[in-house]
Amino acid sequence: MSDDARRPTLARRARLRWDAARAQHVVVVPEGVLALSAEGAEVAALLDGRRSVTAVIDALAEAHPEAPREVIGDDVRDFVGRLVARGYVTLEAP
Amino acid sequence: MSDPPVALLAELTYRCPLRCAYCSNPTDWRDYGDELDTAVWSRVLREAAELGALHVHFSGGEPLLRDDLESLVRAARDAGLYTNLITSAWRVTRERLAALADAGLDHVQVSVQDSDAAHADALAGTAVHAHKLEAAREVKALGMALSVNAVLHQRNLARVGEIIALAESVGAERLELANTQWHGSALAHRDALMPDRETLARAQAVALAARARLRGTMDVIWVIPDWYEDAPRPCMDGWGRRFVTVIPTGVVLPCPGAHGLPGMVFDSVRDRPLGDIWREGADFQRYRGTGWMSPTCAGCERRDVDFGGCRCQAFALTGDAARTDPSCPKSPDHRLVRDLRRERPATAKEPGGPLYRIDIRRGPRAS
Ligand SMILES: C[S@@+](CC[C@H](N)C(=O)[O-])C[C@H]1O[C@@H](n2cnc3c(N)ncnc32)[C@H](O)[C@@H]1O
Ligand code: SF4
Ligand code: SF4
Repeated sequence: MSDDARRPTLARRARLRWDAARAQHVVVVPEGVLALSAEGAEVAALLDGRRSVTAVIDALAEAHPEAPREVIGDDVRDFVGRLVARGYVTLEAP
Repeated sequence: MSDPPVALLAELTYRCPLRCAYCSNPTDWRDYGDELDTAVWSRVLREAAELGALHVHFSGGEPLLRDDLESLVRAARDAGLYTNLITSAWRVTRERLAALADAGLDHVQVSVQDSDAAHADALAGTAVHAHKLEAAREVKALGMALSVNAVLHQRNLARVGEIIALAESVGAERLELANTQWHGSALAHRDALMPDRETLARAQAVALAARARLRGTMDVIWVIPDWYEDAPRPCMDGWGRRFVTVIPTGVVLPCPGAHGLPGMVFDSVRDRPLGDIWREGADFQRYRGTGWMSPTCAGCERRDVDFGGCRCQAFALTGDAARTDPSCPKSPDHRLVRDLRRERPATAKEPGGPLYRIDIRRGPRAS
């Protein structure tokens, strides 16, 4: 089974939202706030537990035909990996 | 000029059935009986969210004693806030926890006094330990996020390993090992609770090893002890910079401990919107930024890192809240802190000598 078949899910204790006062997307967690870039926010919104990593990459590639798919793939795996390491995203089996 | 606050600390009541010897709350807690009602708290929650706060921490005293807690959680969620309940879990039932989860409570932080019931209940002044563990498991079962908080001092530092194991066993995602800050009752019990350097160092080694071992499973946070580090704690991340506290009566403070400082104006949400007080209130302006600093801090490269330390500690030890925190080695008052440290390990079997509890919280005051 490839890692890309797994389905990343934003943990229930981590909430993605728009922070109007600071004009940025954030993930709010019990102990603080992670500020996201616009790209990060786009990826985070797709971590719904239904899409696999591959499906997340597909969706972004479709939305950004100008960007090479390999670059998108690397960015997504890196971003998801960092959130997994901090416990804010879990990877469900396919 | 001010940035928006990131979090509101909502101290709903100072009433509490426990008598923790280390409690940092004001010892004259009975003077805060005129509590805000549900409607005003709901407005304050909305105003905090509009101002830019992302979190609300419901605390006290014991917030569970407010029977409108469910409504306040709902009001906070409706305003878009991430909701955290900081609690002793006093007699909380599964039904109440379920109602709170239903209202939208995101996260619960349960405090424990120690790793075993006998020590914990002795320190809390009442039997609470076993129930806390049940409640913590229930929090998890209901799908809410769980933190455990343990306040550390001479009487439990040696069991920090067991406390970590306890937090793991109830499934906490986060454990706060908070070395005692010397306010309120803690200050009154300082002699009994002050750790010695060796005990602290051993506990710290255990905590840091656990943090490495549990990375990704449970976040282990070691809150550095006052007076033993060579740098002051960046108290509240800077005065009026990231946190706003509303106390039970509606007074708005930059820090829950600031109530004891002289010359405070004590603006209340009963009279002014929260945003006005945050931006313009005299109490918030007083130690905001660097303009108030003594030359020691004003000329120091760490002034934007630790913000000159803790104002309450400066006042408690020197009588002047605007002085450099005496915890800082650069402070001209640093010897005050050195004198208060317990440099040699205590030799008595019960470390720190007998624990006396000044029972400041018992019964209503005769008026
Ligand atoms: C004052 S209590 C109020 C909420 C609730 N009664 C409780 O104990 O969890 C808020 C938090 O501060 C912690 N705390 C109390 N006294 C402290 C002190 N002197 N130093 C550091 N933390 C303290 C408690 O363990 C708790 O996590
Ligand atoms: S620390 Fe203990 S005494 Fe203080 S408010 Fe919390 S439970 Fe009550
Ligand atoms: S002198 Fe002031 S700013 Fe510098 S380290 Fe000490 S407390 Fe912090």
